[in-house]
Amino acid sequence: MAMVLYHGEPNGPSLTVLAALFETGHDAELQLIDLTMAERHSDGLPHNVETQMSIEGEGPVLVADGEPMADSVFLACYLNDSAENSPIAPTDAFARWEMMTWCRQIIERAAPAAAYLGVKAHLSDKLSSLSEAVFQKMVEPIKSEDLKARWNDIREGNFDEEKISDSKAKIKAAVEMVEAKLRDGRDWLLGEFSIADLETYAWLAGMGDIEPAAFEGAIRTEGWLNRIKARPSVSRALSLAKTPAPQQVWAPGPEINRWG
Amino acid sequence: MSDVTLYHWEPNANSGKPMLALMEKGVEFESHYLDLLNFDQHQPEYLAINPQGTIPAMVHRNPKLGDRVLTESTAIMEYVDAAFPGPKLMPDDPKDQWRIRWWMKFMDQWLAPSFSMIGWSVFVGPMVRSKDPEVLKAAIDRIPLPERRVAWRKAIYGTFGEKEMKESQRRVALGIHMLEEELSKREWLASEQYSLADVNGFNIAYALPLSQPELSNDEKTPHILKWLRKIYERPATKKTWAMGKTDMVKRVKLLERS
Repeated sequence: MAMVLYHGEPNGPSLTVLAALFETGHDAELQLIDLTMAERHSDGLPHNVETQMSIEGEGPVLVADGEPMADSVFLACYLNDSAENSPIAPTDAFARWEMMTWCRQIIERAAPAAAYLGVKAHLSDKLSSLSEAVFQKMVEPIKSEDLKARWNDIREGNFDEEKISDSKAKIKAAVEMVEAKLRDGRDWLLGEFSIADLETYAWLAGMGDIEPAAFEGAIRTEGWLNRIKARPSVSRALSLAKTPAPQQVWAPGPEINRWG
Repeated sequence: MSDVTLYHWEPNANSGKPMLALMEKGVEFESHYLDLLNFDQHQPEYLAINPQGTIPAMVHRNPKLGDRVLTESTAIMEYVDAAFPGPKLMPDDPKDQWRIRWWMKFMDQWLAPSFSMIGWSVFVGPMVRSKDPEVLKAAIDRIPLPERRVAWRKAIYGTFGEKEMKESQRRVALGIHMLEEELSKREWLASEQYSLADVNGFNIAYALPLSQPELSNDEKTPHILKWLRKIYERPATKKTWAMGKTDMVKRVKLLERS
C-alpha cells in the first residue's frame, strides 16, 4: 500500500499520527508541511471533503492509495487496523470501547482547549505580523468557513476570556483524568500502551510551559509523559522537528464546543 | 432476562443510535426508558449508572467480568457491532472504517449540535418551559456536566443568541448539501455497505423533510430522501421507532412511500 503522510511539526495531531506510523511499522513517504502557514490547504497535496471539513482543524493528511484522509485518532486506528496484530489498540471489544471513549473525551475537550491556549501563546503574534495581502492569500483556499474564522480570530488576537479560563480548566481536568488512571501504578493509561496514550500525550506535551498550574503535583503524569517521550516511535517523530521546540508549534485546532 | 439493558429516551439522535444498532444485530435488550423532558437522566438512580447524566447508557452483564457500563452513543454502537454476532455494521476494510468514523464524528460534533440547537430552541425549550420555575431551577442545578447546564439554561429560558442560531442554520444547510453530495456517490453514506454511519445519520436526519422542508425535499435532495426511505423500510428501523412514546417520533411516518 502506497502512503504519503503530510504532517506538521511533531506536536498535537501530527505527533499522534507520526508516532502511530512508527509504532505500526508502515512505510510512508513523509512530507513536512507548515500547518502554521495553512499549507495543508495548498495545491501541494490532494484534498477531498474529509480533509477540507475535518473538524480537527489543522491536522496531518494521510494519503493511502490515492485517498486523502484526516483526523488523527481515526488515522491512528487505520494504521493499527491495517497492521498485523493490532499493535496500538486492544482487540477486545470492551477495551476498544474504553480507548475510543477516552479519545473522544480528549478530542472533544482537551484538544480544543490545548489548541486555543497554544495558538494564543505561539501563533497569534506571528499571524499579526503578516501583511493583509499575504494572510488573505494564505487563508483564501480554506473551504471550512468556521476554520477560516478561527484563523482570522487568531490573527486579530480575538481571544475570549471565558474560553481561556474554560480551556485552562479543561487542561487541568485532562491531567486529573490521566493522574487518576495512573493511580494504581500502571505505566499506560488503559493498561496496555495504545492510541489513547499517544493522542493524550500529543495534546498535553506542550501544555506544561503554557499552563504549568495544571500539572502541579501530578507526579504520575510527569512520569507517564517521560515514558511516552522515551518510546522509540515518539523520539523518532520528535527527531523530525525542524524547530528547536516543536511543542511550541500550534496551528488552529478543533473549535471549542458551541453547544453542550 | 437479557444480558443487555439500554437506558434511552426516544428513538431519536443519541438514544436512537444504540437502539437501532442493537436491533440491526438482533440483540435482545431490556429497555429502560428515561423521559428527557422530565429530567429522569439527572435523578440519583440514573446517575448511579452514568454519573455524567447523559443518555444513552448501556449495561452489558457478563457472568465472568461483571456488569460493564458503556456510555457515548457512537462508541456504544462500535462496541455492539464488535461484541455481538449478527450482521456486521462495520466493513472489514480499515479505510472504510476510517471513513465511517470520520462521518460519525462530523455528524456527532459538527452537524448534530446545530440540528440540536434548533430543535431545542423550538421544541425542547417550549415543552419544558411550562413546568414550575422552581422545579426547573432545581432540575438545572442537578445536571452534573457544566456544559449541559449551560445548554439546558439556554433551551429553557430561550436565550439562544441570533448569531449562534444563524451559524447553526448555516451548518445545517451545508451539512445537508454535504450529505446529498456523498449519497450521490454511493448507495450508503460512507461505504458500499449499510453501516454504523447510516445508523448514525438516520438518527439525526430522519425528520429532515419536516424540519427543513425548504432545504431537503425530493427535488433538492433526492439522494437523501431515497436513503432515508431505504433505512426506514428496514425491519430493525420499524421495530426501533415503534418503541417511541411521544408524537416526536411519528415524524418518521413522513418517509412512508405513498
